[in-house]
Amino acid sequence: MKHTRGRHGSHMLILQSILSGILVGGVYALVGIGLTLIFGVMRVINFAHGDLLMLGMYATWWIFTKTGIDPYLSLVLTAPLLFAWGALLQTAFINRILGSLPQNQILLTIVLGLVMRNTMLLIFTSDYQILTTSYSSSSFRLFGLSVSQPLLYSFLVTAVITAALYGFLMRTDTGQAIRATAQDREAAQLMGINVSRMSILAFGLGTALAAIAGALLAPTYYIYPDVGAPFTLKAFVVVVLGGMGSVVGATLGGVLIGVAESLGGAWVAGLKDLNVYVLFLLILLFKPSGLLGKSRM
Amino acid sequence: MSTPVPPPRTPVELRPFRLFPGFAWPSFGAWVAAIALLALVPLFVKKPLLLHMWIMVFLAVAQGSAWNVVGGYAGQYSVGHAAYFGVGAYTTMMLLELHQIAPWWGVGLAILNAVIVSVVIGAITFRLRGPYFVLGSIAVAEIVRLGALYWKGFTKGAEGILLSGIPPLQITQDWTIAFVGKRPFFYAALMLAVLVVAANWFVQNTKLGFYFQAIREDQDAAHSLGIGPALHKSIALAISAAFTAWAGSLFALYVRFIDPNIVIGLDVSVQMVLICIIGGIGTILGPVVGAFVLTLLSETLRNPKWLVQAGLFSDESPVIAFIQQRLANTHVLFYGILVVAVILFAPDGILGLARDATARVRRRLAAGGRRARQPAEG
Amino acid sequence: MGAILQIRHVSKFFGGLAANSDVSFDVEHERILGLIGPNGAGKTTLFNCITGYYPPTKGDVLFKGVRINGLQPDQVCRLGMVRTWQKVRPLAKMSVLDNVMVGALLRTHSLRVAREVAMEQLRIVRLDGKAGFLAGGLPIGERKKLEVARALATKPELLLLDEVMGGLNPAESDEIIELILDLKRRGLTQVVIEHDMKAIMRLSDRIVVLNSGEKLAEGEPKAIVANKDVVTAYLGEGA
Repeated sequence: MKHTRGRHGSHMLILQSILSGILVGGVYALVGIGLTLIFGVMRVINFAHGDLLMLGMYATWWIFTKTGIDPYLSLVLTAPLLFAWGALLQTAFINRILGSLPQNQILLTIVLGLVMRNTMLLIFTSDYQILTTSYSSSSFRLFGLSVSQPLLYSFLVTAVITAALYGFLMRTDTGQAIRATAQDREAAQLMGINVSRMSILAFGLGTALAAIAGALLAPTYYIYPDVGAPFTLKAFVVVVLGGMGSVVGATLGGVLIGVAESLGGAWVAGLKDLNVYVLFLLILLFKPSGLLGKSRM
Repeated sequence: MSTPVPPPRTPVELRPFRLFPGFAWPSFGAWVAAIALLALVPLFVKKPLLLHMWIMVFLAVAQGSAWNVVGGYAGQYSVGHAAYFGVGAYTTMMLLELHQIAPWWGVGLAILNAVIVSVVIGAITFRLRGPYFVLGSIAVAEIVRLGALYWKGFTKGAEGILLSGIPPLQITQDWTIAFVGKRPFFYAALMLAVLVVAANWFVQNTKLGFYFQAIREDQDAAHSLGIGPALHKSIALAISAAFTAWAGSLFALYVRFIDPNIVIGLDVSVQMVLICIIGGIGTILGPVVGAFVLTLLSETLRNPKWLVQAGLFSDESPVIAFIQQRLANTHVLFYGILVVAVILFAPDGILGLARDATARVRRRLAAGGRRARQPAEG
Repeated sequence: MGAILQIRHVSKFFGGLAANSDVSFDVEHERILGLIGPNGAGKTTLFNCITGYYPPTKGDVLFKGVRINGLQPDQVCRLGMVRTWQKVRPLAKMSVLDNVMVGALLRTHSLRVAREVAMEQLRIVRLDGKAGFLAGGLPIGERKKLEVARALATKPELLLLDEVMGGLNPAESDEIIELILDLKRRGLTQVVIEHDMKAIMRLSDRIVVLNSGEKLAEGEPKAIVANKDVVTAYLGEGA
């Protein structure tokens, strides 16, 4: 992204940073919502989350290079595909260790991520892949600010999907069942909710959300097997910031991290990630229930 | 207010792990014999790749056993031990390359440095519990890594530090050790591995170990019985960090090049945990077994030539060719699959499997004995 | 015989909610004090305040004449006051003997000495036959006994028992009652939280009744049974 280098510089620079931060933050929110959904329903911290995003990127890129289908259109293929993959992971692996130590769950997801990364490495090598669309590097001008086209589109898609997800969780029976499971697994089971089905659904949804985020990022990012790791950690920050298990919190957290990162990056480039981790640690220590102060969906 | 009564489970009687009935294994004598045998290895093994394998195994034993003190006994699953490994590697290398301080002093300072760092990190992260502690430990290690990348003037950043040479160590007038070839590293790594395993033995067989385990099982209960959790977790972490830093120093001197991603990356932290999980967490032997299995697996897939040097296969053997052509780059994949299998099917690691298997055999023998005594039944 | 433990105007607030307000009473040497009250009366909260799990918002706790609020649980234990948990907390993956040794190690550095002390405590609670078993595998009755043995191994002068009879069958309860009386004969001061009125009447030299965080009544068992407030607030509720 190019920054305005006007003479009336610093104010515009800050505004520009805030704007791009919000746009990128939308995608972070999507990744965070997926993670928080999985955590909420299963109490499992998914360390493979960034790798699921990576799979989404590769799927989008592969479809684009084979068929030329636009990355935003191919969402209708990639999202269900990755939903199925997530559901499979849940049934085959995560479900078996729900009762074991949280530490073992963490390691299992770390290693599942490792396996996914290395499988992609073997198939596609570690080369950077690029998905270039006609609008990959174009931007609008708005009140003297530049608005990157792909980022704007992805932000809009994010907004629609977040709203749809929220509606699904609040308005539909299944959504209510998922929320009930998140609130109290045993009670939900006693009420006749198929808890294991809700878990599969939650992991599938979480995976699909990560994959959608991957697809949205595909036109602006290099695509390579290790691309997911920073997103995993960023998603944690987002989720912890918003309160573990809170969808609304994750949305706000995502935007906040996007802006913080963008503002930090505008001044000291190398310290961007460092700041994020320091922030993360501070929240864990002093506000473990998140900035909104509750950990419910 | 009465508590719901959990269903009574059949009590499990504890028996010491015995390979052969009436023979406690591995006893102190067995350990001494094993160490003595290992010390003789370089007299017979001259091939560099074979010595390399041993060195890597010893380093892995040291790393796994060091983690085991705080992760296995005290139950604090740190996934940020790369911070101490990195502090060890960087302290030694920076002192040697930038200030010309010999590594035998450097290693000592590295250990001291890591202990100080561990006290600070512990004070921050031990306020967190369970999964939050895991997240916190990862964040701290990443902060250390990014810091090392960022402060180029201090650590040379991503450029890394290349070792130009290790000065010879003069012990007496006519005895100097030159750090050339693999042999000095073999002994240095063996000594470290033995010390860390001994530290695990010490922890398991003293008051300290009882306190660590009590905290692992239930921190609040331990607290009410007069155990200060903060103090004891810090002690466990300090012991663990000291040996981890030592391993980091030795690793740096052995491979002669470090950068923040090599020695402070998340992979380093994860590997230390996996060694223990695969072998059997919270036991003396577990990390040793895990280190052998993981190192042999990953080093073989990475470079199968040692099999040739060991005389197991000829240079033209199709096995070697197959590994080199088809399985190169798959070592992480295999390793991942192994770990998933262990977590799902053998949560107590390979040692746990062995224990269950011997218990099953013993039960079957006992049942067989009973049946034999009542032949009229059938 | 003076008071070993003095509770002076102790209050504990969680947010705006008073879990204990202005509770005062003394525990005499070598006596058993029964602490009763309906669910949510603040009995366990009071134990937590006394043993250092959280400091009281107001008031003082004096143990052997020394003010101890602000001390950590391990320091309180070292001074000679130990508690058991209503929801038992066995160190599941350690053996029964190891569990009790953890307690005994407070007063010694030697594993050998600790093992002897631990076996002695296990004999007292009649759990010595299970010394080598995994603590996590014990049935509830034996877990409760283990909890007591582990606390005793720290050589306390004052033992706080939080519903050690909860969830036990009558035979097991009788056994625990005998154990508590036996400990009293050996000179151990005890504070007992219990729901079973018959048990508490048999055990206690003195009873304190809590209701909604406040002290409702205090006196000898006979006087408590006759107390109208207590009958309406507590006995009238369920029995």
